[in-house]
Amino acid sequence: MTRSEHLRNLLALGALGLVLALLPPALNVYLRSFALFTMMYVVLALSWNIISGFTGYTSFGHVIFYGIGAYACAILVADHGWHWLPTLLVAAGVAAAVGVALGYPVLRLKGPYFAIAMLGAAEGMRVVATVWDGLTHGGLGISLPSVENSIPTYYAMLGLMLITVLVAYAVGHSRFGIRLNAIREDEVAAEALGINATAYKLAAFALSAVFPAVAGGIQAYKVLYIDPPSVFFVQITIAMALMSMLGGKGTVIGPIVGAVLLYTAQELTWVNFPTAHLIAYGLFIVIVARFMPRGLVGFAIDRGWVRKGMVH
Amino acid sequence: MRDLRKAFGGVRAVDGCSFAVPCGKISGLIGPNGSGKTTTFDLLTGLTAPDAGQVLHRGENIAGRKPYEIFRRGITRTFQVTRIFREMTVLENMLCATGLRVPDRVARERAEALIAFVKLGSLRGEYGGRLSYGQQKLLEFARALMTDPDLILLDEPAAGVNRTLLQQLLEHIHHLQERGKTILIVEHDMNVIMNHCERIFVLDHGVKIAEGPPRDIRGDERVIDAYFGRRRR
Repeated sequence: MTRSEHLRNLLALGALGLVLALLPPALNVYLRSFALFTMMYVVLALSWNIISGFTGYTSFGHVIFYGIGAYACAILVADHGWHWLPTLLVAAGVAAAVGVALGYPVLRLKGPYFAIAMLGAAEGMRVVATVWDGLTHGGLGISLPSVENSIPTYYAMLGLMLITVLVAYAVGHSRFGIRLNAIREDEVAAEALGINATAYKLAAFALSAVFPAVAGGIQAYKVLYIDPPSVFFVQITIAMALMSMLGGKGTVIGPIVGAVLLYTAQELTWVNFPTAHLIAYGLFIVIVARFMPRGLVGFAIDRGWVRKGMVH
Repeated sequence: MRDLRKAFGGVRAVDGCSFAVPCGKISGLIGPNGSGKTTTFDLLTGLTAPDAGQVLHRGENIAGRKPYEIFRRGITRTFQVTRIFREMTVLENMLCATGLRVPDRVARERAEALIAFVKLGSLRGEYGGRLSYGQQKLLEFARALMTDPDLILLDEPAAGVNRTLLQQLLEHIHHLQERGKTILIVEHDMNVIMNHCERIFVLDHGVKIAEGPPRDIRGDERVIDAYFGRRRR
């Protein structure tokens, strides 16, 4: 992409950010919440895409970082009287550290083995949160002091989304990003071309851990009560994976489009049919796998509406 | 390399192999199937670690080092079956070979120059997987040259390639040699080896059985025995 194209995209993002920033007074509580959740899923899908789309290490347990972030915030606010905003930085730091510590052994595994190991890690963390009640209050969960925070959390999530989009964009359209793609395509050949795959994978994994953790922290503060099953919820992993795949794994716009479409569809069906969204998930997985393995953006690329490649 | 050994289970693929590749020349590595040629390449480039022996590059033993460390010392290779990145464009295939410390503009200029060198310019935005086999071979060849390596290992560059393209490749290879690069080619095509290599190393059952200029190798009994089996007396 040329400089002017980058600038155009940046301006578009800025305009979108401005619109979203001006919305809250015009929205009722439900719609504000809907917008917040949509933005959250954009963050989650884009983050998942960094390790699973760009680097090709498909993670089935990415909710682990979301849960860690939620607990970091909740513990510090409820038990130590912190203000919620600095806890988000702690959430990011803890997630990055866990990302590196967990990633080092787990990223040695390939394909399905990595996916299942991540699933296990997330479930394991849920059990840790349940059992380590000295820290996490175990199965009782943590209640945060009740406060009207609909507007502040909206803006926090908006800020997080804008940052995540910028980072995902910077990674996706850079030579760092295409080196991650090389690892996905053929790790052995990538190493033979001078790419230290271990270092790159760890960097991508840690990066993909930070934003979901902050999202988890914001969510914890928003809903004011968390417990292990609600924040280490496998459906959150499924949702971010599906959104990214539906939109186009390995692109930047793909996860954004996928998150908005899928979450909106989910909300519309949920209102009328409370559990139908699970069936819809299943249906979407089949449709994506069978007809659009490279997602909507992949479909657009094949039709020639969107240019091939991330760096031009 | 010195006394290189590598066994896979009971199979001794490389069994005490020693030879020195001359600098600035084109050399060939030949031998019957299963003689250990590709394993030797893998040992040289770090894809496999040897069980014993050394690989000396400018006085340093690089045996057992990781592939990316060896690449950064100026040694690159191509593969018997091309390993280009299929879901990435030609330009992206080229660009990912340069380290991140190299400025963007420099990397792009070099990529464009090499793409032009192998005449793939019109395909710069096409996915690697959509190229023809011959085009993929050219891409892999060009990609290996992105960091201006000193030692280039080519694994069967002539395999599955039409005569015209082969001629192009050989011209490129000679051009590189004239610029001072060292090239080692594994090949089965004897025309390529005999007509283009200054020195030939012959492997059989993991050991070097002969070494010398083409005219010596052509008539060497041990080489003929290795390829065609012992003559009945």
